Amino acid sequence: MSDCIILGVESSCDDTSAAVVKNGRQVLSNIIASQIPIHQKYGGVVPEIASRSHVEALLPVIDEAIKQAGVQKNDLSAVAVTYGPGLVGALLVGLSGAKSLAWSLDLPLIGVNHLEGHVYGNFLSHPDLEPPFLALVVSGGHTSLLAVPDYETFQTIGQTRDDAAGEAFDKVARVMGLPYPGGPEIDRLSKAGDKTAIAFPRALADAPYDFSFSGLKSAVINYLHHDRQTGHVTPPADVAASFQAAVVDVLVEKTLRAAADHGFETVVMAGGVSANSALREALAAETKRRGLRFLYPSPLYCTDNAAMIACRGHYLFQQGKTSDWRLNAVPGLALGKL
Amino acid sequence: MLVAGIETATQVCSVALWDGEKRALLAESSLVRGNTHSERLMPLLDNLLLQAGVAKREVGAVAVSIGPGSFTGLRIGLAAAKTMAYAWEIPLTGVSTLAALALNVPAPGVILCPLLDAQKGNAYHACYMWEAGCLKTLQAPEVVAVADLWERFSEPGLPVLLLGEAAKYPIPEPVRQRVALPPEPVRLPRAALVAALGMEQLQENKADDVFGLSPAYIRRSEAEELWEKRQRGL
Ligand SMILES: [Zn+2]
Repeated sequence: MSDCIILGVESSCDDTSAAVVKNGRQVLSNIIASQIPIHQKYGGVVPEIASRSHVEALLPVIDEAIKQAGVQKNDLSAVAVTYGPGLVGALLVGLSGAKSLAWSLDLPLIGVNHLEGHVYGNFLSHPDLEPPFLALVVSGGHTSLLAVPDYETFQTIGQTRDDAAGEAFDKVARVMGLPYPGGPEIDRLSKAGDKTAIAFPRALADAPYDFSFSGLKSAVINYLHHDRQTGHVTPPADVAASFQAAVVDVLVEKTLRAAADHGFETVVMAGGVSANSALREALAAETKRRGLRFLYPSPLYCTDNAAMIACRGHYLFQQGKTSDWRLNAVPGLALGKL
Repeated sequence: MLVAGIETATQVCSVALWDGEKRALLAESSLVRGNTHSERLMPLLDNLLLQAGVAKREVGAVAVSIGPGSFTGLRIGLAAAKTMAYAWEIPLTGVSTLAALALNVPAPGVILCPLLDAQKGNAYHACYMWEAGCLKTLQAPEVVAVADLWERFSEPGLPVLLLGEAAKYPIPEPVRQRVALPPEPVRLPRAALVAALGMEQLQENKADDVFGLSPAYIRRSEAEELWEKRQRGL
C-alpha cells in the first residue's frame, strides 16, 4: 500500500500552523507561526488581530510545511483542517485556505475537531500508544474528561460547568499583573511559593467527573483585592502556588476517579495546560501509585499545532470520514456525550 | 487566458471565468445570501467550472477582490484565492473592490461613487470617473461618515451615481438633486468585473506576490485603535 501523506492546517486561535504527516504518526514537518508577541500588549488574544495575522501567515506556513517535509504538492493524499472549536474568524482563514488547496489539487478534505486533534497529539509523541484510554483535555477553552475506546469514538465523561482550567490560569495571572500568556508564568512563579500558604476552595461539583473553576478564580481575585485594601502583601509566589495546587488537586482527583470507575489502564493528557509542570508531576505520581500508564505529548504537540490535526485527519480518512466543500467553521463544536 | 474572479467583500458571493483575450465573460455565478461565503464559495466555484466545461488546469490566473469591505468576507476570498494560485502555480492579482464596482457603469460624465458599509454610520467609499475609456480616480478609497459624504454632494455639480451598499443609508432631500441610485443588480459587486479588471492589471504586469497579498482593510482593528488612544492618554 502506498503511503498516506496528510497536510494538516490549524488556525483556531493565535497560532497559524501547517504540517505534513505520513501514515498517521510520522511527522515530516510541523510549522507553527506564533502570534504571542502580537497579542502580548493587549493582554490576551484579540480575535480581529488574530484573523489578520492568520491570513498573512497561512500560505507561507503551508509552503514551508510542504518544503520541509520534502514532498511535492501532488504527493499529498488529503488535506485535514480544524473547523472548530475556536475563534470563528480565525478558523475561517485556515478553513478557506485548506478547502481551496484541497479543491485545487483534487484532494479529499477532512474537517477535524481541534480537541480530538489535541488528544491525538499523544500518538505523535508515543508511537506505541493505542486506544482504549482516558483523556484529560485541559486548555484555555476546555476542561474535559473523554473516554477514547477506539480510533472512531470520543465520549465526554465529564467537563467544566463554567471556566476552563486554562481560562482560570489566564484570569488569575492577569489580576496578579503577570505577562500574557499567564499560565506558564503562574507555573514558573509557583515553583518558589508555598502551595499550602492559602487554603483556596476545591470545588468538587456534585457530578463526579465535572469541573468548576469560576468559584476558585473569584476566591483568588477576592483574596488579592483584600490584600490590596488592607495593605497586606502575601508573596505572589504563595498566591500562585496555592491557586495552582487547588486546580491541580481537582483535575487529578476527578481524572483518577474516572479512570477507576470506567476501568481505564492508560490516562493521557492533552491541551495547552498539559504543559503545566505541577499537573504533570501530580498526575504522574498518582497514576504510578495506582499502576496506571500516564502519557502526555512532548512540548511541541502540547500547544496548538497542525501535526495533531493531520494525525486525527489520517484516522478519519482511513474511516472514510471526509468533508464536502460546504464545510463551515463551528466555533462551539462539541464532542459526544456519554 | 482564462481568469478566475472571486468577489466576497460584501454580502455577495460571486465567482466568474473571464476570457482575457476575447475580453468576454465565460461564466459567472452570484449569490446574495448574506454571510455564508465560507459554505458557498467552493461549491459555487466547483459548480461554475463544471457547468462551464472548464478544467481546473485551464485557469491561467486568479483575480480577487481585496477590499475595502467586510473583514471576514475579504479573508475568506483572499485565503481561497491565494491558495488556489499557489496550488496551480499561476499569477494572482488583487483588485480594488471599489474600482471593480465602478466598472458596473462605464459611462462618462458622471461621478461614480461606490459605497460599502463600514458600520456605525460610516462607509468605505471612493469616487471615479470614466474619461476616454479610462477609469480616473477622483477620490482614493477612504472611510467616511456617511453624513459627511452627503455634505460633500450638497453643492451643485456633476451628477453622482451611488454603487455598492449605498441603499442602506437614506439619501437626504437636498442631496437627491444630484445623487442617483441605480437598480440593485447594477450596484452589486460582480466577480466578472473583478476578473476583467484583474486581467488589465496582469497585462500591465501588476501581478501580486501570492504570499504577500493582504486585504485592503483601510481600517485598523478596534483593539489597535483603542490601544493607541490609551497610549496617548485620551
Ligand atoms: Zn488548542
